[in-house]
Amino acid sequence: MIRIITLGLLIIICFILQSALFPFIEVSGVVPNLMLILTVSFGLMRGRKEGMLVGFFCGLLYDLFFGFAIGPYMLIFMIIGYCNGFFHRLYLVEDVLFPIFIILADDFIFNFITFIIFFVMRNRLSFGEYLKEIIIPDMIYTSLLTLIVFKFFVFVNKKLKKIEKGNES
Amino acid sequence: MKRSRNRNHKKIEITPKYFLLALTILCVLLMVLSLFFDGLFKPLRNFANSFIQPMQKGVNTVGEWAESKVDALKNYDKLIKENDELRDELSKCQTELAKYQLDSYELERLQKLYKLDEQYFDYSKTAARVISKDTNNWFDVFYIDKGSEDGISTGCNVLYGNGLCGIVIETGKDYSKVRAIIDDTSNVNAMILPSEAICNVSGSISNYNKGYLIVENIDKDASVSKGDQIVTSYVSNKYLPGITIGYVTEVKYDSNNLTKTAYITPAADFSGIQEVLVILDTKKTVIE
Repeated sequence: MIRIITLGLLIIICFILQSALFPFIEVSGVVPNLMLILTVSFGLMRGRKEGMLVGFFCGLLYDLFFGFAIGPYMLIFMIIGYCNGFFHRLYLVEDVLFPIFIILADDFIFNFITFIIFFVMRNRLSFGEYLKEIIIPDMIYTSLLTLIVFKFFVFVNKKLKKIEKGNES
Repeated sequence: MKRSRNRNHKKIEITPKYFLLALTILCVLLMVLSLFFDGLFKPLRNFANSFIQPMQKGVNTVGEWAESKVDALKNYDKLIKENDELRDELSKCQTELAKYQLDSYELERLQKLYKLDEQYFDYSKTAARVISKDTNNWFDVFYIDKGSEDGISTGCNVLYGNGLCGIVIETGKDYSKVRAIIDDTSNVNAMILPSEAICNVSGSISNYNKGYLIVENIDKDASVSKGDQIVTSYVSNKYLPGITIGYVTEVKYDSNNLTKTAYITPAADFSGIQEVLVILDTKKTVIE
């Protein structure tokens, strides 16, 4: 129960930070993707199901506010969260580099799917330019933010585990 | 104890694979529903907004405060110098203003004389604050803190700085969603001023990062030159006529040699939008 409340709060906080505060810290028009970091982190730390659910609600919030329809981002976030659950077995708490590589790959996939759905469909095909202007800066910025934020999520997860253990025994 | 809990869990435990499948179906269903019946999710959106928005406003003030402090430190010397210059300019402007006021009285008189419709010149406007921005880097959509309660409706034009900034695409009770003209999906019917050629200004992220909006498919015989003003045209069905969009910085012939493409520097500076003006009249009411 406490996990659900904490995760709900985390999702809302991340969304508010990203939509209201991050525009102030943008670098060359690019803001890091905090919601993606959240989804990926919990997918990594907790496995497929939780990653999927966190992704689902992150995407729902995003779609409610900025999507033209409810669904597309939900689906993208959810699938990314689910797929990251597969790496749960390889994940070690001390390893910092591994999440960064994962987030780099995920951010690329996320932006690539966005590009396919919203741009290729409208016949805007200059992928190289979008790669240079948006995708790569976004990847770099997001992975840099991961360095800081991931530690915090690990901390939250540890605390949650402790509380849950205490409740069970 | 632990075992019984586990067993309890087992009853509702579904393997992640099927869970994913169920949620995917739910997503697709929602997508179809929201695409075909747009009004269906309006209450949900309204609810989410009334819940999240106050927090966004709060965080926003923090961000603005921090930014203003950083800026103040950065620009202290520059500001003092600029202040002096502006004072000079203000006094100059004031004398000019007096002259224009005289002119405007004359204009008013003449307009009355000719019974010209004045409504083109004084739209009723309201100021609004930007509270949140699209969290994705691909689009330029933002929220402002005024909605239908303040008289804003879908299709209202939004101004910032010296020119057109965007259009309201969705309104709720106390918020509205604005699509900036630099958004990749934005198209504005415009007019190039001295020659009065009609054209279409489209936003594009790859060009905006270089600082331009583009105007495509201008007839090759139309006279367009560097420095021409681009304003919204009379034939647009969404934008009120005569609002400045920007100025032509470059004109290039397309490879087909039948049309030209012009690059425009927008009049509004989109990098630090915080407060915007919304014109409450929509195009329709002007025509009626």
